[in-house]
Amino acid sequence: MITLSTPVYSHEMTPTYPTFSKSFMDGISVATLNIFNKRMDVSYYEIGVFTDEWEPVPFVSQYTVIPMKYLDTVSFDVYVTNRSLDSVEYICSVSQVQYGSTVTSKICSRVK
Amino acid sequence: MKKLLVLSIALASCSPAYAAETSITGNVQTRCLITTDTNGVFGNPLPSKLSTASADGGVVPVVRYDVTLADSYLAKVTTPTSFSSSPALADAVTWTGSTTVTKTTDAGMAAYETGKITYGSTTQYDLTIAGSTWFSSEATAVYGGTKSFPGGSYTAIVLAECIAK
Repeated sequence: MITLSTPVYSHEMTPTYPTFSKSFMDGISVATLNIFNKRMDVSYYEIGVFTDEWEPVPFVSQYTVIPMKYLDTVSFDVYVTNRSLDSVEYICSVSQVQYGSTVTSKICSRVK
Repeated sequence: MKKLLVLSIALASCSPAYAAETSITGNVQTRCLITTDTNGVFGNPLPSKLSTASADGGVVPVVRYDVTLADSYLAKVTTPTSFSSSPALADAVTWTGSTTVTKTTDAGMAAYETGKITYGSTTQYDLTIAGSTWFSSEATAVYGGTKSFPGGSYTAIVLAECIAK
């Protein structure tokens, strides 16, 4: 008998439709999102920014992989250049599998 | 006189109605929540087979999606195509898997199952109704045709995605 998954709780990211605004730097826009970690088996979430074809878009954030404790809510900023702003379609957070963690959850917000 | 006395007592016993406003604030926003409802377990009905099917002695993993706004998300559930951890395997493993809707909070969600799109090991659902939906994913791994799986611990990953539309 082999385990496929272990106890897993919830992963949530808001807002669903984030908007970019001017940042403190010229030519750079910023969007703020929140992750709520209700997964006991996950301590890290990886952030990704993608086009509508799921091509990665260069971005900067406080962390690319965000360390999170159980029941933590973390607010993070995603910075992209104004040049690449038009190509941004999705901002995603993906749970990082740890030992004993066997369900990967991925939530993607959409920039409209 | 008696009536007046009763009225006086009644008035005196009334407390003045002070109007005080206490606000309750909250923020409802569109969101998707992914929760594992049931933990999956591989059964080992044959030396060469690992399966989550209950007929094979396994437990089917169930993932629940909660969405608060209709028609805003796509759910994608991908069954495993490899082990994330296992003993060394010298031969190929053949994977099969399927995902189905097993429980909903709205009768209209019954259409999710007929409207699902499957490609590869991924099944995609359009979450057109707000509420909760439970998805069950069966997965089977067969080792090298009829070879026995080496003894040890096997772990596989189910990917549950919620993509804003």
